[in-house]
Amino acid sequence: MRFRHSDIPTAIMFLLPAVVILGVFSFYPIGAAIRLSLFKWDNLAPEQTFVGWDNYLTLIQSSRFWNSMLVTMEYTVGVTLASLVAGLGLAVLLNNRLLAAKGLWRTLYFLPVVTPSVAAAMVWILIFNPGFGFVNILLRSLGFQGLNWLADPTWALPTIMTLGIWRRLGFNLMIYLAALQAIPHDYYESAQVDGANSWQRFRSITIPLLQPTTVMLIILDIIDSFLVFDQVMVITRGGPGSATEVIGMYLYTMAFTNFRMGMGAAISIVMFLAIALFTLLQWRFVGLGSSEESQ
Amino acid sequence: MDSISRPRFYLSPRLRSNLFLLLILVPVALIILVPYLWMLTTSLKVRGTTGLPPYLFPAQFEFSNYQIAWAAAPFLRYYLNTTVVAVAVIAARILLSGMAAYAFAFLKFPGRNLLFLLFLGSMMIPFQATVIPAYLIVRDLHWFNTYQGLIVPRMVDAFSIFLLRQAFISLPIDYLDAARLDGCSHWGVFWRVVIPLCRSSVVTMGLFSFLFVWNDYLWPLLVCNRRPCARSSLDCRFFPAGTRWSGLI
Repeated sequence: MRFRHSDIPTAIMFLLPAVVILGVFSFYPIGAAIRLSLFKWDNLAPEQTFVGWDNYLTLIQSSRFWNSMLVTMEYTVGVTLASLVAGLGLAVLLNNRLLAAKGLWRTLYFLPVVTPSVAAAMVWILIFNPGFGFVNILLRSLGFQGLNWLADPTWALPTIMTLGIWRRLGFNLMIYLAALQAIPHDYYESAQVDGANSWQRFRSITIPLLQPTTVMLIILDIIDSFLVFDQVMVITRGGPGSATEVIGMYLYTMAFTNFRMGMGAAISIVMFLAIALFTLLQWRFVGLGSSEESQ
Repeated sequence: MDSISRPRFYLSPRLRSNLFLLLILVPVALIILVPYLWMLTTSLKVRGTTGLPPYLFPAQFEFSNYQIAWAAAPFLRYYLNTTVVAVAVIAARILLSGMAAYAFAFLKFPGRNLLFLLFLGSMMIPFQATVIPAYLIVRDLHWFNTYQGLIVPRMVDAFSIFLLRQAFISLPIDYLDAARLDGCSHWGVFWRVVIPLCRSSVVTMGLFSFLFVWNDYLWPLLVCNRRPCARSSLDCRFFPAGTRWSGLI
């Protein structure tokens, strides 16, 4: 049923609502942001001066910008890897047909996703408080010395990453679980008849059949981590120093604290380009798992 | 014979695999739950003692914290508003995002990959960058303090399209071909074959949409300004759940 000309009117009909709504509320604003990034617009003053590429040039010469890129990448790689692997592992365990009280486990692991990020971040501040925080109480009772987690330039970012992983785990788990449930059980049975052990079945059935899901999750996780803002804003505001200043935090500081809107818009365009480049590369080398590729 | 040679502590395979799973699942669940227990005990602590001595369980439970928080804002109304918006957004997303996902998964048309990449791109732009132009559009439509101001901009999103498309393309194409041969229109295939077959993914998508609406903070704050948002006046330390409402009209 592929590539017939009669598909085109149907495609237009099916896509029209999506194109209109995304166009008005996503693409037009993106265009406006691109335009703004070429202007100098400070302190919400009435006049905007056209400056061309100046905002971008200032940006690539700023060491603070590169630092924030580095911090963001560290955060993104750590959170994506950890939550993806743990999410897949837990999803396979939860998909076990013999497991009792599946709903309970699923709800438990999904809770962090449902929790508003601001509330979770507040709790993180309390848990990692050097004096009365749960983590340090626990460490002290085990005979270790506690750390001042969020004020330590080495440990502040990993501490925020634990929040990211905690929040992202349930998301990956749920999507993997939905995909696992769609794999026909016959595949496993016939592999078992052929003498494949459970690791081999996992390697040669589960992993390949989950590939479209994995590709999608990697893209979504990286986008989500790259745009991280709420928790950094609430927990450290980028500090100590600029140890946790992710790019989203840098953008916020530039645009809404220093009121340099043009710079802020330029940063957002750079963020967009970085993610778009990554997605394109992934598309080029791995593919997005479209129906033609899988057949 | 067989029953005699069984070890004394024979565990059925079911019990054994459950025990093994629990060995992993319980510790992980505990780690995940710690923040909630902390939230709960903190919300019950006496005002002012939150940080004093390092203890986990308060000696004295202060349930009045919840009364104070409940009285601080019309929560019932907030919950109702959020529910109305969430239901409308989810219904629209299943229909509209689903249709777009169907087109991307099964229909061939020129520029399909380009358009799909564009849609994906709309997920990648930082929200802070697009929020001001989007706000101006809603203002020009005179949609402030209305349900449609909260619903319409959220009726389609790239994430749902992406999720549904990935689910659609894993369907055996034969089912669709069979339905087409039997004279089913694309609409019929979409509504009667594809959506029912991908029920679990549709439910997942609906769930995420619900969460998104439920946790969304900045957008309702911007487009519904008639009643000043009282969120900041809620002391989150005493009522963490107080941050769980949005969408006031």
